[in-house]
Amino acid sequence: MTGTPARTLDAEKLFAARLQAARARPYLATALFALHVVESRRVPTMAVDRHWRCYVSPAFVAGIPVEELAGVWVHEVSHLLRDHHGRSDRVAAERGLAGPGERLRMNIAADLEINDDVYGDGLVRPGGAVEPGDLGLPEGELMEDYLRLFRLGPHTQDLAWLDCGSGADGLDRDWDLGPDGAYGLSEQERDAVRFRVAQGITARPGSVPKGWRRWAEEAFHPPQPWRELLGAAVRSAASGPGAGEDYTYGRPARRSAGLPGVVLPSLRRRPPRVAVVVDTSGSVSDAELGSALLEVAAIVRAVGGRRDLVSVVSCDAAARVVQPLCRAEGIALVGGGGTDLRQGFARALRTEPRPDVVVVLTDGQTPWPEARPACRTVVGLFPRERRPSRNEDDPGYVPDRPPDWARVVTIG
Amino acid sequence: MSLDIAADLLALLHDTATEPRADPQLEALTLAVAADLPVLLWGEPGIGKTAALTQLAEALELPLTTVIASVHEPSDFSGLPVVGDDPATQGVPMAPPDWAVHLAREGRGLLFLDELSTAPPAVQAALLRLVLERRVGALRLPPGVRIVAAANPRSSAADGWELSPPLANRFVHLQWAHDHEVVVRGLGGTWPRASLPRLDPERLAEAVAFARRAVCGLLAVRPALVHRLPQNEARRGGAWPSPRSWDMALRLVAFATAAGTSREVLSMLVRGTVGDGPGLELLAAMDRMDLPDPETLLADPAGAELPERGDLRQAVLDGVVEAVRKRPEKPRWDAAWTVLGRALESGPPDLVVVPASTLAALRRPDWDVPASIDRLAGAVSLSRQADLAAARVAAGRRG
Repeated sequence: MTGTPARTLDAEKLFAARLQAARARPYLATALFALHVVESRRVPTMAVDRHWRCYVSPAFVAGIPVEELAGVWVHEVSHLLRDHHGRSDRVAAERGLAGPGERLRMNIAADLEINDDVYGDGLVRPGGAVEPGDLGLPEGELMEDYLRLFRLGPHTQDLAWLDCGSGADGLDRDWDLGPDGAYGLSEQERDAVRFRVAQGITARPGSVPKGWRRWAEEAFHPPQPWRELLGAAVRSAASGPGAGEDYTYGRPARRSAGLPGVVLPSLRRRPPRVAVVVDTSGSVSDAELGSALLEVAAIVRAVGGRRDLVSVVSCDAAARVVQPLCRAEGIALVGGGGTDLRQGFARALRTEPRPDVVVVLTDGQTPWPEARPACRTVVGLFPRERRPSRNEDDPGYVPDRPPDWARVVTIG
Repeated sequence: MSLDIAADLLALLHDTATEPRADPQLEALTLAVAADLPVLLWGEPGIGKTAALTQLAEALELPLTTVIASVHEPSDFSGLPVVGDDPATQGVPMAPPDWAVHLAREGRGLLFLDELSTAPPAVQAALLRLVLERRVGALRLPPGVRIVAAANPRSSAADGWELSPPLANRFVHLQWAHDHEVVVRGLGGTWPRASLPRLDPERLAEAVAFARRAVCGLLAVRPALVHRLPQNEARRGGAWPSPRSWDMALRLVAFATAAGTSREVLSMLVRGTVGDGPGLELLAAMDRMDLPDPETLLADPAGAELPERGDLRQAVLDGVVEAVRKRPEKPRWDAAWTVLGRALESGPPDLVVVPASTLAALRRPDWDVPASIDRLAGAVSLSRQADLAAARVAAGRRG
């Protein structure tokens, strides 16, 4: 940059661009206006820090049209709304990624997450904005996923100058004013702004791109992996009263001898009996079923269940096979065609000894039993985007949601 | 090897210093315990929950009793039946364990129920009665005893225990995490010493009034927030809003106000009581209570003090224009232009554009344009630039 004459910041242009951005994306206006502008000659373009300050290079503003600058505003505020700095720190700690090279990768991955659907519809894509297609990557992924998909190399050479600041990748820059500097937003204030934006998006989802809607739904409730949720549901069902470890007064405790007059209960173990009903109709893929079934087997083992107490019912239009789960991977699943899970339930409940828990793995395109079965029920549900009709006579047929008495975990 | 030398080495290792450091987690815990609400700390094992409780007990000058739930039997909490000489006439008393008797005799203390989530279900059931009803067998714990429980997050709890929604609704849920910097510095020999909140006796009445105004103000306009059961699997076992938890939130706001604690700490407490969404709405409502009143600004437009933060400033300006729209009078309209002029002098111009055009539209035919409107020329040209840019974008897309 030597030889470039020192410019003053064209504030009018900068704020005109913000105004245009706020008009094109009304749901982001709160966040755009909450940014505090800091003029800086040390940032290459425009950058944000985690305290919602926006550092702006006067030379950059001078050299870019207003409409592109509006796109940059939205890009920078997206980093903050999507908490890219916090997520970068977490992903760095989880995967042991250290060093400026890795942080550059996080900045690029964060840019990819933003850029695939942020422009258009009144906003221009600024020159040099990197999109997934530029690196030969699919669209619509999250930053954490993009991070696994590319390395730095000749094809990312052009991106080495890319720098959206510590707000994008969590690495502190020497131009940052830091937590004690002027006009920073506290954590609570940042949450409040993000919350208002998310609220605005959920209030009128129609006009908002899919990426932002997904963000708004998850802003304060990051989705938990289905494995954890399914595990928690099955474990809690399997360790309820009557199964698992429990105390009983039915037999005196061994401690009783030492404490005459005091009645002590003894600990009794009854491993939970689990029946897994697997939907083997044509609409559920073997890979989906396989991974869910392995998961259930592992969870049951962890709760103290014995293999011989876990049975598997594979079910399509009729319940076909009942067999003890010896090796999860070795189960022959027979089926195809339509589903009637009522048969599967009936078959599972007829097993001797009666199960404590029924786990159902299905895509939900089935009739459900009318009444609550006499044991706890967990449903692992494979989501389907479009629900093709299973009933050829009635094209308008929509399958019922799983009933209220079952705990439902969406898988995948 | 002589044990004397080993003792010297141990003494050297124990010789650590402390330094003052703000600790929002500990502050939140202290306030909730002071407010006599049952707290549930969620945290992975080994991250210093016990150390925090020790510090809290010191600060509140309460003796600490730790009970590891997972090594006890249910009868240790619900009372052991002791068969006497004549059960038919005397009944069978449920004898409380020794720690409960000590606590009851002492009259005050901090009871820490650790490892709630690794205890068998029957033990947990007995413990919850202790937490909620303060009863151990036939004994009732005196009001001077405060109870804190700790649990592992359900993803790491081996038996996956979780709270049912009615039980979750009775706790203040605090997420306990370790601060990397504090741990490294502490192992290096310097542990933090948090200064804990103290209630200001002068501010008690004011704090209660503020808390009632904040909570009632929000619930009056958002009736849907009063009661909302957790809907999906991911939110089970956490905080959710109900009249009971709003009452707890109100109490916490009053305590936080009387102690002068930061919004960060209050945010942890409120979100841990009524849930994230309703908690954030309450905090946002409290932020709005801090904003200047539009009528005050219209009464003295020249002395108007506007918030620095852009989004809040725009909310204030919108409020001023809205106040004029509700009661349109020439002096109020003029005053609003003066307020907008001040906003333009002291901050970014783009914030003024929307309120200015709304205000201009409120003009009555017999109202003369005030002289101060010249100062808004900057906003007008800014708006024109944005219009031109938008037109170029639209043209580019068509072309």
